[in-house]
Amino acid sequence: MEKPSYNTDIVRSFVTWSLVWGLVAVLVGVIVSLQMVNPDLNFGPYLTFGRLRPIHTNAGIYGWGVGTIFATFLFMVQRLCKQPLWSDKLAKFQLWFFNATIIASAVTLLLGYTTSKEYHEMEWPIDVMVVILWVAFAINIIMTIIKRKDEQMYISLWYMMAALIGVAILYLVNAAAVPASLFKSYSAYAGTNDANVHWWFGHNAVAMALTAPPLAMFYYFLPKSTGVPIYSHRLSIIAFWSLIFMYLWTGAHHLLWTPVPDWIQTLAMAFSVMLIAPSWGSVINGYLSMNGQWHQMKENYLVKFLILGITFYGLQTLQGPMQSIRSFSAFIHYTDWVPAHIHMGTMGWVSMISFASIYFLAPRIYGREIYSIPLANLHFWLALIGQLIWSISLWVAGVLQAGMWNAMNDDGSLTYTFMETMVEMYPYWWARVIGGAIYFAGILIFVYNLYMTVRKKETIPSTTAEGRA
Amino acid sequence: MDWASILYLGVTFGLFAVFALIVVRTYNKKSKDRNESAKYRMLDDD
Repeated sequence: MEKPSYNTDIVRSFVTWSLVWGLVAVLVGVIVSLQMVNPDLNFGPYLTFGRLRPIHTNAGIYGWGVGTIFATFLFMVQRLCKQPLWSDKLAKFQLWFFNATIIASAVTLLLGYTTSKEYHEMEWPIDVMVVILWVAFAINIIMTIIKRKDEQMYISLWYMMAALIGVAILYLVNAAAVPASLFKSYSAYAGTNDANVHWWFGHNAVAMALTAPPLAMFYYFLPKSTGVPIYSHRLSIIAFWSLIFMYLWTGAHHLLWTPVPDWIQTLAMAFSVMLIAPSWGSVINGYLSMNGQWHQMKENYLVKFLILGITFYGLQTLQGPMQSIRSFSAFIHYTDWVPAHIHMGTMGWVSMISFASIYFLAPRIYGREIYSIPLANLHFWLALIGQLIWSISLWVAGVLQAGMWNAMNDDGSLTYTFMETMVEMYPYWWARVIGGAIYFAGILIFVYNLYMTVRKKETIPSTTAEGRA
Repeated sequence: MDWASILYLGVTFGLFAVFALIVVRTYNKKSKDRNESAKYRMLDDD
């Protein structure tokens, strides 16, 4: 049977740009962590923590995260459907519009234009750009899926479709606003409704942008890397549907102990705990897929990234529900425990899977074997160690912070002033700088390895290389 | 019980019924091979 002609140029371009935005995200992350320990590094008005922090988060989520989603989805959908892309022109438009959107976001955020909604800071004209971008992407993927030859869809396609539909709904609902000028708008919702809608968006952006797509990648790139199928496709389907049924109810766990009605908080808490089941359905499926293949953890660098990635997913999906319980949330909310949680998710789970995916793609999109497997292994260890230093130091900081905030004297007065609790944070914040710098060094090695791969003279005749180490 | 509560309850049970049907259909012994076939096909040479 004649093989379809797959578009790898577009995948290559998205990989390049996601790397660019990934470098920006982590570099700015290191800079803002330095600003926390040395406030003199705030250079106003444009390079202050308040303006750089949303650049860090948005470049990370939308530049690196979504850029990698674009690259991997466009690669996977063609192969899983055994069809070329529905429209190469639309994919090309998507590439340049993606970069225009990210640049417009970065510039307006630096200039101080913000809705002040966390993870949705961009003003309404950029919301319009995001919607156009996502619609172009969704049409191309869905039309390619519709043209597929096999009726039975592999689990990665289910997660891809969930991400396409989920992000569209979340973004449109949360973006509803009344424009007052070109760069100023007011939310269509008021008071607690606004907060509730916003965190419904915020938490489910994690679900639909930072959980469903990495799961699509994991289910695709793990078996492709090991050469053996996943343990159970049926388990993956049940885990998928239970995740979809449960996730959308959990957003209000960000609003525990607020004026949001108690029943909404309790609902979010219950669904968050229930969410352990589908999350661990995928984790267990991943581990059982390694039956008889655990030796590949030593021999195959791709497997290291993928298995550590799914392990961090497992840890995150235990920690997250724990944090969503009222009594525990009362203790750790607003402390440094929370950024430790999200960074184990982003640096550990999402990025580990993304690194593995791009390493897998490299020989197939560049037509050359990876330049250096030892460098890829070094990248793995730097990413792992940097991430662990980052998260563990801030877990400890968070517990210490919470303990000091809650400490009371016999007469009921607070034992520590807020400033005293801040001073105690310095060693942990320095540890965060070091962890972030190590992680950034790993990314520099990653980019260097890919750059040298592109520059290699020897090409491989077919794209069948595996990540043997 | 007002209509809103009845509606909430109805939607809840409706969603649960849909999920239960998905579980039953997915784990139906007769369609085991069909439901597992995709994991082998995805390993075909690209």
